[in-house]
Amino acid sequence: MTVRRLRAAARLTGFYVLVFLVAAYALIPFVWAISTSLKSESELFGAARLIPREPSLDNYVAVLSSASFMGSLGNSVLVAGGSALLALAAGSFAAYALGRLRFRGKQAMLYAVLAMTMFPQISVLSGMYENVRELGIFGTQAAMLYAYPLFTLPFAAWVLTSFFRGLPREIEEAAVVDGATTAQIFVRILLPLTVPALVTTGLLTFIVSWNEYVFALAFTLTNPSAQTVPVAVAQFAGIVEQQEPIAEIMAAAIVVTVPLVVLVLIFQRRIAAGLTAGSVKG
Amino acid sequence: MTTPDAPPPALRLARVLGGLLALVGVGAIVLLVLSIAGHPDVRAGFDASLGAERPSWVLAILDRFGLLVPTLVLGLGTAAVALGVRVARRRAGAIRLARDLALWASIFAVGLAVARALQGVPWWPTDGPSAVVAASGGLAAAVALAGVAVVARLLLARLASDPTLPTEPLPAREMRSAWNLLLPALLILVMVAARPLEATVVTSLTDKRFASDTVPEFVGLQNYRELLTVRLDPLECRRDDDGACAVDRDGDVRWNTLPVEALREGYRTAYVWNLPLVTRADTALSLSALDEKWIRSIWTTVVFTVVSVSGELLLGLFIALTVHSSFRGRGAMRAVMLIPWAIPTVVSARLWELMLDDTRAGVLNQALLSIGAIDAPLAWLTDPALQLPSVILIDVWKTAPFMALLLLAGLQVIPKELYESARVDGASRLREFFAITLPLLRPAIGVALIFRTLDALRVFDLFQVLLGRAQQSMSTYNFDVLINNQQAGYASAVGVLIFVLIFAFAVLYVRVLGVNRE
Repeated sequence: MTVRRLRAAARLTGFYVLVFLVAAYALIPFVWAISTSLKSESELFGAARLIPREPSLDNYVAVLSSASFMGSLGNSVLVAGGSALLALAAGSFAAYALGRLRFRGKQAMLYAVLAMTMFPQISVLSGMYENVRELGIFGTQAAMLYAYPLFTLPFAAWVLTSFFRGLPREIEEAAVVDGATTAQIFVRILLPLTVPALVTTGLLTFIVSWNEYVFALAFTLTNPSAQTVPVAVAQFAGIVEQQEPIAEIMAAAIVVTVPLVVLVLIFQRRIAAGLTAGSVKG
Repeated sequence: MTTPDAPPPALRLARVLGGLLALVGVGAIVLLVLSIAGHPDVRAGFDASLGAERPSWVLAILDRFGLLVPTLVLGLGTAAVALGVRVARRRAGAIRLARDLALWASIFAVGLAVARALQGVPWWPTDGPSAVVAASGGLAAAVALAGVAVVARLLLARLASDPTLPTEPLPAREMRSAWNLLLPALLILVMVAARPLEATVVTSLTDKRFASDTVPEFVGLQNYRELLTVRLDPLECRRDDDGACAVDRDGDVRWNTLPVEALREGYRTAYVWNLPLVTRADTALSLSALDEKWIRSIWTTVVFTVVSVSGELLLGLFIALTVHSSFRGRGAMRAVMLIPWAIPTVVSARLWELMLDDTRAGVLNQALLSIGAIDAPLAWLTDPALQLPSVILIDVWKTAPFMALLLLAGLQVIPKELYESARVDGASRLREFFAITLPLLRPAIGVALIFRTLDALRVFDLFQVLLGRAQQSMSTYNFDVLINNQQAGYASAVGVLIFVLIFAFAVLYVRVLGVNRE
């Protein structure tokens, strides 16, 4: 009896060790970045230790008082928020049609949307670069707002379509019997039911736009004031020119990542469901 | 379906609105023709005084306007005229369709007016190929358009609510609603996907450069020829005085260079392979190309894709199986697994750049030194032999937990009873895994694999941030040629090739995943 219990305890311990290893694997780089961001520049080149000898927020103060970095944060909020809203608006309409209505050409449209979620951005960079210059928005935040629906819209439409499909049909049929129009059904009945799905999809598109790098880099080369956060972090040079301000870069990295991590922690269940539905890119 | 005994005001309204709609269609087409015919680059194509210097007007149209937008304008303009005629005849379906379209038109026109106001566009611009085209780009035109669209929408709604119109059958209504709801998304995708893709394809057939303003020349498939020409040569090793193969300081055999005429034609060697079974010890096979950097970027990307995706699959499977069993803190665990995915790739690249540093700040080197695995710090990101493995390591770290989430969804649909009956039969855990879990997980694995492969083939961020020009993936090579060298024509050909490759994979993916997952 005791042997069996001991064996069970050992198995349980082994299991939790495994779980701990997985968690450590996912978190260590992040924890290390936090630790580095609290160190002084001189401590960085001492022996590597996890707990800083004299933790200070100096790096955060430096980063948050840098006008260009704060500007890029603002740009990212504008660009990612704007593209998420646009993708949700156009995407939810399209998803309603694809998920709930019967019409000719539906199959082809579904295929087109699914294929579009895998569109390689780099292939149209050249054409997009030209279009953006013709429109006179090169080097502005509007260039990103213009380009991002390329990946946010098909993704939002696809994820929302699978959500719309999951709703029971009876609700709608009852409303049709009561003489409601399609617009009324959409706005009064289906939209409230899909608020959770909209929040999830909005978050996912926000994260994907927030993290986008190819277009952001290409469109802001000549105008650093329109840079978004990834470009700023990639090119972060700090105030001292001579050496890379590693601790400040890590502070900047934490600043731009913490909002996302908090969102992910709050909405993790929904995000996991949305990701699996859309098989979104990583 | 006409209603002859309709009250005269409604009939008059229908005629006015129908006429207006037809006018909009005609106006759009006229505007298109005027802007094309008036464009200086197109006109130069007809300028006889330029003689042999005269550029091609066909290419000028293709380059500045493309085919897609003019075709769309022509098609939609004609459709608007046809619809206008039917509205004027008070056809019920046409009126309802026009009403729906007018809603989008007003939203679009108001948006356009706001955008122009924000951009600071003058009310009445004068610099254009013709007065009409110039004025159509101004704020006044946008505001007028918005006003007309909003008023037309209101009047059409009134017309459509007329009780004497025949009621609409349900299938027709669903059809109209569906395409109406799809319209904004379709228009946006035409603008941001089809139009740039078209521009890329057209540009790839030219020698266009961004720095210059001249109309590019048509070069046919020249760019593609340059990108795709490769040759294989057997190379002998260089001989020492005693006839043995010469070796360099690292102990590697030194091979002869390509034949002179090949070098003169522009071939450069990308890879030299000494394959033990295929070639003799003193000969090697060399792969050379007119653009050896491109060939190298393809190979780098393929190696990256194969190694990182299989690594992610194995690790992801392990994580998924661990997290699948129910235990306290499972929800928190899943949140933790999402964190590497949520961190911007650029940020994780810099994070790992620090951890892989070869000074004392680099924690990985310090850890490996302290357990005695290495004697001196490794230059993970500057040693060419370690660059690709480092990037793969980082990609696996970032994506394996995400892969695990995809697989977890597949694990959850496997019925528990299968395991119970297997246990009754006394099957071992290992046998359970190979007899039940793996076969039933196959669809989920297939989706995750193709999906991740597509993603890995387009890898950009990690290579760009960590390696720059030292080692390039297909995407960073494309970016380099386009943005740094400004060779738009050549870079577009690279982009088209990447598109074709990824599209082939995407078709495979769509067929595996299917769209009927109801």
